[in-house]
Amino acid sequence: MSYPLELRDVVKRFGGLTATDNMSFRVEDGESLGLIGPNGAGKTTIFSLIMGEHRQTSGSILCNGEDISALPTYARIGRGVCRTYQVPRPFADMDVMENIRLGLMPNNLWQMLVRGPNHDREIELALSVGFAEGDLKRHPAELSMGDLRKLELARTLATGPSIMLLDEVFAGLTAGEISQIAELINQKRKEGMTLIIVSHDLKSLEPLIDRAIAMNYGAIVAEGDFAHVMADPDVRAAYLGGE
Amino acid sequence: MGIRWQHLAAWAVFIIFMLALPEFVSKGTLRTIIFANFLAIFAISWDVLSGRTGYISFGHPFLIGIGAYTSAILSYRFGFPIALSIPLAVVAAMIGGTLFFLPALRIRGSYFALVTLAFMELMYQLVQVIRPDITGGTRGISGVETITRGAVNNFYLSFCLMALVAFSMWLLMKSRLGTALSAIGMNEESVRGSGLDTTKLKLAAFMIAAFVAGLGGAFYVHYLGSIAPRALFDINFLFTIIVAALIGGASTIIGPMIGAFFLTFLLEYLRPVLPGAERYFIYGGIALILYMYQPKGIYEVAKQGWGRIQAARAGAGS
Ligand SMILES: Nc1ncnc2c1ncn2[C@@H]1O[C@H](COP(=O)(O)OP(=O)(O)OP(=O)(O)O)[C@@H](O)[C@H]1O
Ligand SMILES: [Mg+2]
Repeated sequence: MSYPLELRDVVKRFGGLTATDNMSFRVEDGESLGLIGPNGAGKTTIFSLIMGEHRQTSGSILCNGEDISALPTYARIGRGVCRTYQVPRPFADMDVMENIRLGLMPNNLWQMLVRGPNHDREIELALSVGFAEGDLKRHPAELSMGDLRKLELARTLATGPSIMLLDEVFAGLTAGEISQIAELINQKRKEGMTLIIVSHDLKSLEPLIDRAIAMNYGAIVAEGDFAHVMADPDVRAAYLGGE
Repeated sequence: MGIRWQHLAAWAVFIIFMLALPEFVSKGTLRTIIFANFLAIFAISWDVLSGRTGYISFGHPFLIGIGAYTSAILSYRFGFPIALSIPLAVVAAMIGGTLFFLPALRIRGSYFALVTLAFMELMYQLVQVIRPDITGGTRGISGVETITRGAVNNFYLSFCLMALVAFSMWLLMKSRLGTALSAIGMNEESVRGSGLDTTKLKLAAFMIAAFVAGLGGAFYVHYLGSIAPRALFDINFLFTIIVAALIGGASTIIGPMIGAFFLTFLLEYLRPVLPGAERYFIYGGIALILYMYQPKGIYEVAKQGWGRIQAARAGAGS
């Protein structure tokens, strides 16, 4: 039995600091997993390891049964894994449509040369994450944090993922923007997307996940359904001690 | 951005103007323009690599030099026809360049610039020491076969070459490949995060730049009829290329062209006043002021000016 994503005894050290300490977990097909923990717990590092932006010190990462530990980032994205960033990283001198265009590009020089951009698909993606028609030609400097997160979601969705890793999707958003993005995530769940969501906003996170993993100092503290995890004394201690 | 008829009209006027130019200006001015045409080719090449991806090349004379030396040596020493020596020179620039720059593409920022600068210096030294019987050593080679004679013919030749390079680079950079290269300059991590192999993209940018630089270098040597390491692997030549691209308007095709003409004529008009190297000091100062005023270059200044005129006209009309 293979899983969309599986981590086996993954360790990541930055010099003397162990950011990921022997982590093992699996995500089921179509599951939405919440990854929680105080600042510096190592949540973002897990995402970077899954994407190959950092290489683990030891252990292995499997995608649908295949060990992807040695693959470059683009090859992992080619296998359907993609992430958003805690701090959005748009292309500053490009408008919303051009930003999305990059996600839609095939990793093939010839195709990039001979085929023009698919504007219809760009617009469709922009509207699907909640942009208005009037936003399409806007540049990142003119966008709110909520819009930047939408843009990041749209560019990520453009790569055609089946597994999405969302890092702090609610940070810096207004209540209206939070419900808009929560609705989008719920829609993706219904479509069968496998998700790992990192969020400090536990209240917004709770209805979006099937299961939670709480971590601290790079290791799993508790695992299971959300209420169970939150009731765990170690999780409470970590949150009170960490924030 | 769509192509409007005004653009086409402007280009048509420009091309007709250039084609008619030999009727109106002196041979000396034509020679100045010939140099500007070649400088524009080199600046466009620099911009495709550095202006877009943000990997600043200090080694462009190295690429131009491979093209120029290969074609000069093949035709002068081995009797190759120019029609064969130039394509071979272009291939040599692409292969030689790729071999040397490939490791450098993995390092970022100022280190990339330094490594490429080192290659230019290395080439300068090697050309003089290794097989001077072939390269001509310190003196270089003179008496290289020229493609055509006279200022007028060479003006037409260099202009057509420049126009051809500009148009094909414009087409290339208008494609999604061009968009991806510019994106690397803005945020390389996000390009990787969009599922693209940035090493492959940078290599493509590099090959295109080497192609254009090699082509320009080979034609240039068959225009000059001579080649010497001092003139080619020269820091002033390098900075003229970079400054032309930057003050004209990086990440565009027309910008480096504007910059090349601006700089060439600036240097030319300063010549009677300041015959020595002080010229470079003055022109450096002017370039710096322009650059500080508008980092996007002269092209952007002109565009904004045009926009203001349009706005004023619209205001007066209503
Ligand atoms: N590139 C790096 N080099 C060195 N240390 C790093 C690096 N990236 C992360 N760390 C360290 O690893 C630990 C885990 O960081 P990480 O960003 O994964 O935490 P996080 O759970 O995402 O925190 P936050 O909630 O603040 O986003 C931290 O102590 C951090 O300082
Ligand atoms: Mg984080």
